Amino acid sequence: MSDPGLSFTPSASEALVEEPSITVRNVSKAFRMHTERRDSLKERFIRGRSRGHHTFQALDGVSFTIPRGQTYALIGHNGSGKSTMLKLLAGVLRPDSGDVIADGRISALLELGAGFHGELTGRENIYLNAAILGLTRRETEQAIDRIIDFADIGEFIDAPVKTYSSGMYLRLGFAIAVTVDPQILIIDEIIAVGDEQFQRKCFDYLHSLRRKGTTIVLVSHALGIVEEMCEGAIWLDHGRMRKVGPAREIVRLYLDEVNATEIKLASEAAGADAPDATEEADASPARGGSGEVRVTDLEFVSAAGVVAPVLLTGERATFRLHYEARKPLEDVVFGLGFFTETGINVAGPNSGSGLPPVPVLAGRGTVDFQVERLTLSPGSYGVSTAVVSHSHTFDYIDRGFQLAVRGSAGGEPGLARMFGGWSAGPATVQPESSETSRSLDPPGQQPIRRPSEPATPHPTETAHA
Amino acid sequence: MTTTVRGQSTIWSMRGLIWNFARRDLKSRFKGTALGWAWSLVVPLSTLLIYTIVFAVIFRIEPPPLGNGRPGNFTLFLFAGLVVWTVFANGINTGILSLLTTGGLLKKVYFPSYAPVLGSVIAVLAQSAIEVGVLLAIMVVLGNTSWTYLLVLPWAVLFVCFLSGLVHALAVLNVVFRDLSHIISVVLQLLFYLTPIIYSLSFIPEAWQGIPLRRIIGANPLTEFVTAFRNCVYDLTPPGFATWIALAAWTAVAVGFGVLVHRKLGLDLGERL
Ligand SMILES: Nc1ncnc2c1ncn2[C@@H]1O[C@H](COP(=O)(O)OP(=O)(O)OP(=O)(O)O)[C@@H](O)[C@H]1O
Ligand SMILES: [Mg+2]
Repeated sequence: MSDPGLSFTPSASEALVEEPSITVRNVSKAFRMHTERRDSLKERFIRGRSRGHHTFQALDGVSFTIPRGQTYALIGHNGSGKSTMLKLLAGVLRPDSGDVIADGRISALLELGAGFHGELTGRENIYLNAAILGLTRRETEQAIDRIIDFADIGEFIDAPVKTYSSGMYLRLGFAIAVTVDPQILIIDEIIAVGDEQFQRKCFDYLHSLRRKGTTIVLVSHALGIVEEMCEGAIWLDHGRMRKVGPAREIVRLYLDEVNATEIKLASEAAGADAPDATEEADASPARGGSGEVRVTDLEFVSAAGVVAPVLLTGERATFRLHYEARKPLEDVVFGLGFFTETGINVAGPNSGSGLPPVPVLAGRGTVDFQVERLTLSPGSYGVSTAVVSHSHTFDYIDRGFQLAVRGSAGGEPGLARMFGGWSAGPATVQPESSETSRSLDPPGQQPIRRPSEPATPHPTETAHA
Repeated sequence: MTTTVRGQSTIWSMRGLIWNFARRDLKSRFKGTALGWAWSLVVPLSTLLIYTIVFAVIFRIEPPPLGNGRPGNFTLFLFAGLVVWTVFANGINTGILSLLTTGGLLKKVYFPSYAPVLGSVIAVLAQSAIEVGVLLAIMVVLGNTSWTYLLVLPWAVLFVCFLSGLVHALAVLNVVFRDLSHIISVVLQLLFYLTPIIYSLSFIPEAWQGIPLRRIIGANPLTEFVTAFRNCVYDLTPPGFATWIALAAWTAVAVGFGVLVHRKLGLDLGERL
């Protein structure tokens, strides 16, 4: 643990799991439901105890180990039991069955304002919290300046914490939790309430704790952060453990399932009230044109070749226009317009500009527009359709169709995804710094992605850049 | 089921935290009041004055003589009993709520639930320490001193343990049945009159209308504690062996009750609060 190079184990693969810092074995936890709780004697007398046994299984037979010095994330849907698991790790709750074993001093930041007493000032709360964490008064006095410095909330440190803003709660809580030198740090999804500057500071600090060999367990719905910060991830689903493994892999599996579920739900919904939907599309959006040809529907066809309500970034996608023409026409150009929710026109492909014209016969027909890799970033888009000939408009529907695009894994910012490969160019090697950077970054772990990272909100690897 | 994440904690290892809770209690009690700490003397002295007027002047209760042979003084006699009662009643009344007022904390970080309870007991003791000081000072001025003062020390150890065990049990139970604190405040009113504070046990008839009154009052643990304290500082007669056994037994019962309730219910307060 003293050697930062050694503690930084490259991946969560089984071979390297030597010394577990946290072991969770077959842990279950049920809660008595709030609605059935007998808080007062009167309720107990009146309604008796018999119905008071309604329980909710928040965790069911969860097992995993976290090796010393690694960072793990818990991911899963709302209510899947992530916070409950963290509370068990922090000792706030006890499991109904199973073992939770940890070695080392644990510091936990479970909720906003965790461990604060509203009436006391920030400074008094530091003393109280330090005492809860087992620090003596002398140790606290030594640490208090660092804590106040880190929190950086100015004169509010001597105001009652009930007057704090959410971010100030976070700042003070985080400052206390990390400056007491925990061996195990537990953080529930809260860093998100900090401002940009403080978030960067938090992540920088977490990285430095990691290098010192602190085991970190966090919950985050920001999967990009999970992929980037964590060696491993634990996927909880309705209180059961779905999978544990390398963060990247688990995040991908999780996202795949989320996407699959969304597609399934959306197509069920579409199947249920399809007639309504088309009628609405006809009536409400702004529609123009002389009407010799009308677009009747726009379908999104996924890579698998089936009509899907959701398309995936980077996958093959086909946009299928259905039209109905009153008479045969020549020289017709079909067009699509993609708009973000804020009204930015991202793309506007059309069948004109030198391409052979699409012949249109009287009656119904379809036209396909296919892309090999969808470059739209995940998000929702309004899609406009147009049928024109030279400068005459037959039909135009302004954003009459909704397209949902989802990513298969971690996000890149921006409206469009650029697909390409990165490769190393010539570089001058400084003998010494290359040595340390090699020991910090084990080869083969994340070879290509690094240069694309500056876009994520925290400058992670600056230490050895 | 094993869980090692809570670590091994003893009351001794938690002393820093207990002390922090005590300081918090003391600080918040008189926060924003003009008289501040003086209130912890003003309130009991006014109670003393009121009771003296009611019971000595109006009802003419005769106090037993002082230990140094002087004729009894009702105010002092009452004071010696009232001090014990004040610690007991304040300890119960504030301690029983201490887990609810600390509730938010227990849901978010783990620490033993007895820490805030003991902290509030210590805060109450600290407040009453001034009162005891005033009582002893008056006794010294009146020349009513004896070696029996030294017995206050072992008495106090037993009394504090008795009170702590009882308060912790009640505080934990009050989280589960929130009505308890209201029931207890009624019980305390009754208990005040069932304890020889404004009278001494010898005033009470053996039986009244077939009810063995003196036996009932004598069986009350507070009777033992109040009488023993009064023996030490007012009558200046050392409490007998049987009394010490009774005090120790009541203390053991209260501490046992506290430990039992703690084991049964006190470890899962995080989800009940
Ligand atoms: N004290 C409690 N009493 C009753 N039910 C509870 C209690 N605490 C949690 N639960 C339930 O247990 C389940 C898991 O909750 P938990 O807070 O662990 O979810 P989570 O995974 O952290 O969700 P989120 O992503 O929304 O934070 C939820 O259904 C919740 O309602
Ligand atoms: Mg949660």
